[in-house]
Amino acid sequence: MVGLISKFMKSEHWEYLRDESRSIGEADSISFPRTEEELEKIVKVLAAEQIPITVQGARTGLTGGAVPYGGHVINLSKMNRITGLRYDHGRFLLRVQPGILLVEVRKALENMQFDTTLWSQESVDALELLKQSGPQFFSPDPTEASASIGGMINCNASGARSYHYGPTRNHIESVKVLLTDGSSLSLVRGKHRTIDGQFRVASEAGNELSGTLPLYKMPDVKNASGYYLKPDMDLLDIFIGSEGTLGIVTEAELSLLPAPAAIWGVTVFLPNQDSALRFVRAVRGEQVDGIRQSDIQLPVAIEFFDARALELLRKEREHNAAFGQLQEIKSHYHTAVYVEFHGDNDMQATEWILSLGDLITSCGGDETDTWVAQNPRDMEKLQFFRHAIPESVNMLIDQRRNTEPFLTKLGTDMAVPDQHLTSMFELYDRRLAETGLEAVVFGHIGNNHVHVNILPRSLEDYQRGKELYLDWAQEAVSAGGTVSAEHGIGKLKTAFLAVMYGEEGLQKMREVKRLFDPKGLLSPGNMFSPVQQER
Amino acid sequence: MSTLQIIACVKQVPASTEVKLNKETNTLIREGVEAIINPFDTYAIEEAVRLKQQHGGKVTALSMGIPSVAELLKQTVALGVDEAVLLSDRRFAGADSLATAWALAGGVRQTGAFDLVICGKQATDGDTAQVGPSLAEKLGIPHTTYVRSIEHVDEKLIRCIRLTDDGQETIEMTLPALITVVKDINVPRLPSIRGIRQAQSAPVKLLTADDVNADEKRIGLKGSPTQVVKTFIPAQTTESELFTGTPTEQAKQLVAKLVARRLVQEGEADGRD
Repeated sequence: MVGLISKFMKSEHWEYLRDESRSIGEADSISFPRTEEELEKIVKVLAAEQIPITVQGARTGLTGGAVPYGGHVINLSKMNRITGLRYDHGRFLLRVQPGILLVEVRKALENMQFDTTLWSQESVDALELLKQSGPQFFSPDPTEASASIGGMINCNASGARSYHYGPTRNHIESVKVLLTDGSSLSLVRGKHRTIDGQFRVASEAGNELSGTLPLYKMPDVKNASGYYLKPDMDLLDIFIGSEGTLGIVTEAELSLLPAPAAIWGVTVFLPNQDSALRFVRAVRGEQVDGIRQSDIQLPVAIEFFDARALELLRKEREHNAAFGQLQEIKSHYHTAVYVEFHGDNDMQATEWILSLGDLITSCGGDETDTWVAQNPRDMEKLQFFRHAIPESVNMLIDQRRNTEPFLTKLGTDMAVPDQHLTSMFELYDRRLAETGLEAVVFGHIGNNHVHVNILPRSLEDYQRGKELYLDWAQEAVSAGGTVSAEHGIGKLKTAFLAVMYGEEGLQKMREVKRLFDPKGLLSPGNMFSPVQQER
Repeated sequence: MSTLQIIACVKQVPASTEVKLNKETNTLIREGVEAIINPFDTYAIEEAVRLKQQHGGKVTALSMGIPSVAELLKQTVALGVDEAVLLSDRRFAGADSLATAWALAGGVRQTGAFDLVICGKQATDGDTAQVGPSLAEKLGIPHTTYVRSIEHVDEKLIRCIRLTDDGQETIEMTLPALITVVKDINVPRLPSIRGIRQAQSAPVKLLTADDVNADEKRIGLKGSPTQVVKTFIPAQTTESELFTGTPTEQAKQLVAKLVARRLVQEGEADGRD
């Protein structure tokens, strides 16, 4: 046991104090369990001594969810195996440990190469069937492919393609969860459900856990804020998006989909923002100017890059050799929209692209101002362009931190219902103009979910930006939206959760927390600010 | 200056960068791997299209391959190529780099007068880098390889900068000439929807061995003196070792290795920050 828990040595373990939010925490001890048995032992010791536990995956989160607030860090990076495969009702379900990275899952599926040494015969048989069935994929696609599956489950991660395929939640068939009292729950979709909020489930050891989940109204948009609560729901959904506050996911089954034969992407440049927003609405099938395009294929992803983001890239492309291979962003390109199609063959994709051209023209654009990718190599170029924007933002902020070390970017993550898309943009533009703050806007516009990245030049800017962010959060909520659509609440956005659900809602979340983690040991500071939790 | 007649040579290669070998036959597994234009050739096409846009003229994309390569050649039309020509004939099959050069030379002559031939520096599947220079010899024109930028072109000559092992050198050649280009030369554009629309109706000119008056002894398998006696995966001559543990532990392991190999002395590693 002594060997499993190590004293936290800042000199050696410093990286485990931080995540991609760039905030830094503190811890007294750390462990790297390799198996469920080791994990159970560690949790038992910690729970007995009432030591707070922060669970970590790959630390790619943007809200500080994996940053420890004292106590112990359980880092799951060594529980990273693919443990089996199942074929059920026409679907393949891949069983993985939480520490495995998305990129590793993708690679294994692409190459159909799995270490089956410890697999059951059923899994080996299913693998044979998989090989005969042709390529399959796991659809969630957060920008950071080095995210861990456990992390993705815990913040219900999504990405560009979630517009069509939905977030991580939709692709998790079962989870195994370890609670701080030492019990382990295996929860399967469709099998373990709540009825009027009530649930009753037996742990692996045979103990019964029962209770009543409270209820509140969740926004009807893409959402990663607070616990998932519905009157009749699958019990595993309470753990998906729970940010490590209820239990530790020790295993999960990923539901796979047949991989599309043709993946085509198009970046479309429009002459102004208005035209771009009209194009977005038209391409997702809305009526624009009284006309609905009926022959348009729905894309699997719709992404947006505003004029300020393109200008930032133009500058980076000139000065930074790393961006030298970016396509030329011509001076008349004002606003960009990326759409992606998944089809059965290239011929079908070509037809879709050509009718997309007509749609561009009808929205005031020119089909010459497009970049089309028809193969994986060219798709990489379009992805490079998409990823270059957040990267440029980070580089710019790093530069400014040289003179003002406390500056960080302020990245919003709000989503609103379809009918509020245009008004939300008007609000962003108006308030940015009024305050004179520098910002770039990009992201998942298909779900009315763009990230406004405020780029403060000074601490005054930073303070003003924070106020602006809170204003926008309130506006998004009153429009029926969410304060966080994909990054989660973590430790950085707890104030926004209160805006969204009010004190009553937070109280209900605390009830949920008490049901599964009565001593409040798990992931202190996530979702609830520590003060609120003590109350 | 007068306009430029440019020919860009194009090869079809497997899209995958991870080459898979059939361990029994030691041959490349090509099944199920999507075909793309050789990535280095995309720089050749881009440079040709840019030159045409600057100086006026015409760009012809030329390839030798199976009939389905016509679809890939259409993609070059979407990028700004004016005419696509495909040498396709069973008699061309099985060609090595020499026979390929003879066939392409026939194709180039068939297209009429030309000023400049541009090839990628090599293909990503065969990696020989021989076809470009070999083609220039068959055409009897000057050539230079590894071109990273074109400084000047007029009706008589081309001046370009080529990469060498030690740096770079400036080469001036009279036209017509052939160059092979490296990645540094440009950023290949992606096709636009307009380009793809235009390419839909673009014809690909098919040429047989007879059309280019090919000497049958010089093309295809018959014209290929190269014999693949054996292919094998080279034995690994370098070893790599991955240190694990905390940064301090890893540093200690590294120092121990360096000392053991007498690359540093114990004293050097101790006590210094």
